[in-house]
Amino acid sequence: MKMTEISVRVNGVAMKSSVEPRTSLADYVRETCGLTATHLGCEHGACGACTVLVDDVLTRSCLKFAAMCDDRHVTTLEGLANDPLTDLLRQCFHESHALQCGFCTPGMLMAARDLLRRNMTPDEITVRNALAGHICRCTGYSGIVHAILLAASRLKPDD
Amino acid sequence: MFVADVRLPGLQDIAFVRSGVAHGRLLSVNKPADDRERVFTIDDFDDLNVLEAGPELEAFRQSPYPALASGKVRYVGQAIAACVATTRARAEDLAERVEVEIDELPAVVDAVAAMQPGSPRLFENWADNAFIARTISAGDLNLFSASPMRLKRRFRMNRHATVSLEIRGVVAHWDARLEELVVHLSTQGGHVMRLGLARALGLPENQVRVIAPDVGGGFGGKNRLLPEEIAVCAIALKVGHPVRWIEDRREHLLASVHCRDHHYDLTVCFEPDGTLLGIEGDVHIDAGAYALWPTGSFMEASMAAGNLPGPYRMKALRVNTFTVATNKAPMGPYRGVARPGACFAIERMVDEVAQHLGIEPYEMRKRNLVKRTEMPYVTVAGLKLDTGDYHDSLDTAAKMIDISAIRRRQKERKPGEPRVGIGFAVYTEQSGHGVVEWSKRKSRVVPGYESANVRMLPDGSVNISVGVQNHGQGHETTLAQIAAHELGIDPSQIRIRYGDTATTPFGFGTFASRSIVFAGGAVGVTSRRLAEKIRLIGAHLLQAAPESVRIENGAVLSDSGSVGFGEIARAANIRQEMLPEGMEPLLEFTGTYEPKESAGVFSYGTHAVVVEVDEATGGVKILDYAVSEDCGTMINPMIVDGQVQGGISQGIGTGLYEEIPFNADGQPLATTFGEYMMPCATEIPTVRIAHSVTPALVTEYGVKGVGEGGAIAPPAALANAVADAFRDCKASFNETPLTPRRVWEAAQAAMTRMEAAAETRA
Repeated sequence: MKMTEISVRVNGVAMKSSVEPRTSLADYVRETCGLTATHLGCEHGACGACTVLVDDVLTRSCLKFAAMCDDRHVTTLEGLANDPLTDLLRQCFHESHALQCGFCTPGMLMAARDLLRRNMTPDEITVRNALAGHICRCTGYSGIVHAILLAASRLKPDD
Repeated sequence: MFVADVRLPGLQDIAFVRSGVAHGRLLSVNKPADDRERVFTIDDFDDLNVLEAGPELEAFRQSPYPALASGKVRYVGQAIAACVATTRARAEDLAERVEVEIDELPAVVDAVAAMQPGSPRLFENWADNAFIARTISAGDLNLFSASPMRLKRRFRMNRHATVSLEIRGVVAHWDARLEELVVHLSTQGGHVMRLGLARALGLPENQVRVIAPDVGGGFGGKNRLLPEEIAVCAIALKVGHPVRWIEDRREHLLASVHCRDHHYDLTVCFEPDGTLLGIEGDVHIDAGAYALWPTGSFMEASMAAGNLPGPYRMKALRVNTFTVATNKAPMGPYRGVARPGACFAIERMVDEVAQHLGIEPYEMRKRNLVKRTEMPYVTVAGLKLDTGDYHDSLDTAAKMIDISAIRRRQKERKPGEPRVGIGFAVYTEQSGHGVVEWSKRKSRVVPGYESANVRMLPDGSVNISVGVQNHGQGHETTLAQIAAHELGIDPSQIRIRYGDTATTPFGFGTFASRSIVFAGGAVGVTSRRLAEKIRLIGAHLLQAAPESVRIENGAVLSDSGSVGFGEIARAANIRQEMLPEGMEPLLEFTGTYEPKESAGVFSYGTHAVVVEVDEATGGVKILDYAVSEDCGTMINPMIVDGQVQGGISQGIGTGLYEEIPFNADGQPLATTFGEYMMPCATEIPTVRIAHSVTPALVTEYGVKGVGEGGAIAPPAALANAVADAFRDCKASFNETPLTPRRVWEAAQAAMTRMEAAAETRA
């Protein structure tokens, strides 16, 4: 199969790769870059576990081709290891028992961070709507919703 | 790290060629000429054993399930060939080039019709399509003819999938140095899977190592050995490099473990005052095409029948059960196993009787629930309800949900406003059942105990290895809490290890709400043995009499001094000259545990739900959900709440959303999340939970299981609430999921009946 050359900045690191045109961004970050925090739960854009940021926009990596990310910035959960907001969310997820098996968690954290960056004072309905495209089979969502509201309550205006 | 995250040098991917038809004779599988050696069919494995599955009962008919289809295909999605390539995409390319010829046969898709004479048969050597048919009868059967009143109803709980978010996966390779097959497997019980894999592959068990790393949910679906898992291992033994298969969601919905699919045709007998007398009828379980190793779905039928009397005093039970083979993916266990169906049937029936007699459903339950003073109470089906207060549970839930406020709201409803209804369901959840119960069920593997290895290292830190498998239950937390309690140290000094047959003692895994009872018990009793040895060494080091010392905060204390665990552990592990005369070195014990009585202990609870129903669309919205539950002593209340809320979320899925319908040709009609409705944060409310604590009498610490209870009652409570919303026109909602179409149709039919009756009267 004819390969496509791409240059992608993944978590701040410039990567030059040769990919099949059909390679999804999800397979690219997981298999080529070895970044396995991006999970695959459905590969058709419904479960949200594979959510990453492309140029800071929340993106289902299973629905995007790697070749479409040429010259783009891709951020996976690994890339947010030192992000204060993600750190706060992680702590609140821990305190609120917001994960059981943990498979949906990377996508949930991505969506939660994106919400709180846009809206620092969401109410419960807003949080639930922001998670509407994310499936968690274990928790029944209440811990996750609680964790995000808890994180919001701890945000300082200058964060 | 999950199975899909395992990276090994030379790893290649596997894609399966699957049957596109539900039932047919497999005529030929043609491999692409240029890639023959990368495609495998059953003919490439002459040394694979087909495992006998299902209960060990003469009457249970065998349904040999080969790793890849042989002779016939019996459901859409059955694996026919496996293709190996450097990436999954390339393996799928290869799979597309494999030509399969199938002579299609009529499909069997309806479990009830499948038992009619003349139905096509899945297995030609069977007399009919039943894996097994059994009649369960108990109590005073004369009641069925003598009963003053009776009501007959049909209930159906439709088929769906288990839908762990991490789908199944296998990574397998032959370790040439150790001469063993290493299998990374997403499973709920690696030790039992090793047993099955070794048998299927013809390897001694000490040459098979199963590693279950992080497991992304199981819910029962990862507690059976599936043919793909055997095929991947068999291929790993042939090709000389690591291979993996990561199930995709379509494969999961098509061909992984399916669940529920119960049909009930029941008559309930009762007194004019609402006293329930007995229940009789037929239960059909649509078990799919094959029994899965080890025990298949056989327990569905016996548990469904046995749980029909629920928490109620009944005097008679007579149920004909049929576990039926159909051209659908095999059924397996799913959170709640059988009881969601039984609870749906009996709890709907209670409301139907209440409606018939004009009694408040809450009152109807009060009249029939087993009382605290009657405990232990042996139900007519023979289940011994051990401890608890079911009336208090119902009262608490009723208070939380405020029946009178809802009744007022119903009365004041103006035409055009949404209808509101309230529904109750009471359930029991058997857990901690061991040898007595599983041998009664003729289980092929009898999970009558769990084990724990508790070891204190020379620096005083503790490692505990267990045979259960955490896949979201928080064993690292609860088991460490138990050990910390027994050892008198902080939980942070304890590491809990599981998920590797090479490093953990044999155990059965995590299912049947059993881990806190069995593994918790094993960790408890074994830690106690370790604590006792620590105490003896401590007394010796303190030169005190053993009976004069005690353990506290990581040290052994006497009246005159103390010695820390670090020093004691150092003596026991690397300075044996400091030990008492004749004492064996090491601080390590392996122990097993089974409750003193192994028929099981029963958690229980009441679910109360308020729904709003849109008359025009049939859409159901949950306004409030309250639970009053009792699972005995809670080791960690936050984890208990998580299990309750999560279980209810799955129960709401069964009740309102999740379904895999089949057409007449046996084609499944929900194979993506486009057609298969998964509830999200916008559908699942935060449940209000009240706890009671009635400790079990026969388990360590008085614990009872809690994993499944949440999933049992929601379909019943929801259907009762929707029916309550349409009380005035006596609509019945007896089939799950309660999709808008089903709700709308049932409501329309009832309103039409009501109008016709009014016209007749006029």
